[in-house]
Amino acid sequence: MLLMKGISKTYPSGAVALRSVDIHIKPGEFVFVVGPSGAGKSTFVKMLFREVIPTTGKLFVDGVDVIGLKPEEIPFLRRQLGIIFQDYRLLNERTVYDNIAFAMQVIETPYRQIKRRVAAVLDLVGLRSRAGDYPGELSGGEQQRVAIARAIVNDPLLVIADEPTGNLDPETSRDIMKIFTQINDSGTTIVMATHDKNIVDSMEKRVIAIEDGYIVRDDAKGVYGYEPEH
Amino acid sequence: MSLSTKEYFVKETFKSIKRNQLMSFASVSTVAVSLLVLGMFLLMVMNANNLAKYLESQVQISVYMEDSASQNTLTAAEKSLKTMPGVTKVTSITKTQAMAKFKQRLGDQNRLLDALGEENPFPYSFDVQVDKPERIAQIVPKIDEMKGVETAKFGQEVVEHMFKLTKLLRMGGLLLVFLLAMATLFIISNTIRITVFARRREVSIMKYVGATNWFIRWPFLLEGMFLGFAGAMVASLVLIQIYLALQEKVYATLAFFPLITAWPFLAYLSLFLIITGTAIGAAGSCIPLRKFLDV
Repeated sequence: MLLMKGISKTYPSGAVALRSVDIHIKPGEFVFVVGPSGAGKSTFVKMLFREVIPTTGKLFVDGVDVIGLKPEEIPFLRRQLGIIFQDYRLLNERTVYDNIAFAMQVIETPYRQIKRRVAAVLDLVGLRSRAGDYPGELSGGEQQRVAIARAIVNDPLLVIADEPTGNLDPETSRDIMKIFTQINDSGTTIVMATHDKNIVDSMEKRVIAIEDGYIVRDDAKGVYGYEPEH
Repeated sequence: MSLSTKEYFVKETFKSIKRNQLMSFASVSTVAVSLLVLGMFLLMVMNANNLAKYLESQVQISVYMEDSASQNTLTAAEKSLKTMPGVTKVTSITKTQAMAKFKQRLGDQNRLLDALGEENPFPYSFDVQVDKPERIAQIVPKIDEMKGVETAKFGQEVVEHMFKLTKLLRMGGLLLVFLLAMATLFIISNTIRITVFARRREVSIMKYVGATNWFIRWPFLLEGMFLGFAGAMVASLVLIQIYLALQEKVYATLAFFPLITAWPFLAYLSLFLIITGTAIGAAGSCIPLRKFLDV
């Protein structure tokens, strides 16, 4: 699903975000990317949807050479991905329904199909009754659920989440993680950058730890904490 | 492009215009004023051109005879004028006719002529019309040499001045058109810039969910085109009213002034303004978008 070979990123300012990273993520995996602020997590995640282009190395997402994409091919890569941000990024002047339907309109899905599919994802995130509400009327957790619904409405192969629980309390975070687990159970690959120790430790999934641009750990059933022997 | 996508574009376009009512109004007004000035200029240049052409086609030679010329000489002169190649019409004007004509032209001030007493200073003359203005240069020297002819004159100078004026108008007009087009482009692109800026969040989300650049561009492009189109419509309607009113005035006072007939001339001019306005609108919306699409 995801293959990185010798990926490095140096920003024009001279800051080095990643150094010679090799990663292979198989379809259906649930992977946490952890590390302190400024370690390179964000750069790692942003490369996957080509917001950041690596300085050197090779990067394949579902067999597509991400670095070699022409600008006009980028939208078609992103249609295979579901992207979720810490700050939800919802459109405040549109209803919950429209925020989700928007992602389908953009890729020119027929109207009737949109209606059916949006109802289904609203059920999955438990917000069917809030379809007509505006983001401002929802709690943070509910807004993030809308963002998740929008990310999965086009059936992506890979869901990329950048600190999705960063603004949420522990209980709400657990609810959100239940939804992610459900999505992962249906076969979708998930890559999640996070700071949340509790969540990582409770999920017992693969953990990739980045520090100062290096991969310092990659454990199949890892924990957040830094283990002395490494 | 599917029907629901087209519907989406049109809806987004009008939503955006409504959201930025004031700025949209300002854009439409600017386009309207710019195109109105442009249209008026075109009207002026084209009418000046038309007038010059008319004058040129009307060119005639006035042949003034010597006072001493006998009736026989006059008849012989008329005869040889008529047989000259290219001459289409020869009208003779007697001394009395010339005086009467002048009196009429003076109108209320014809009392000035009282000073002349019984004397008639006007010579006997012929108005000679030729088929082509280029012939005048060859004909005039020949007439000058004829017996009894005092002098032969023609309106070439007026025509030359007229053409010079038209040329100047045309060049000035071109510069003005260019400046106005730039100003309009600037205003429309600023309006769209504000719209895009207000919706930059939306644009970035669209990019994340995989919208193509053209999908994002269409509503903005339509908005720019609509603003340009609406402004051009207003300009055309005003211009048509102005020209029709002007034409009425001119016909009432200067019956023979060769003004270009209103239709279909005004229809072509309006079409030109509308196409120009819409094109400027489209161009104006493409400029600010480039920056925001680069996510």
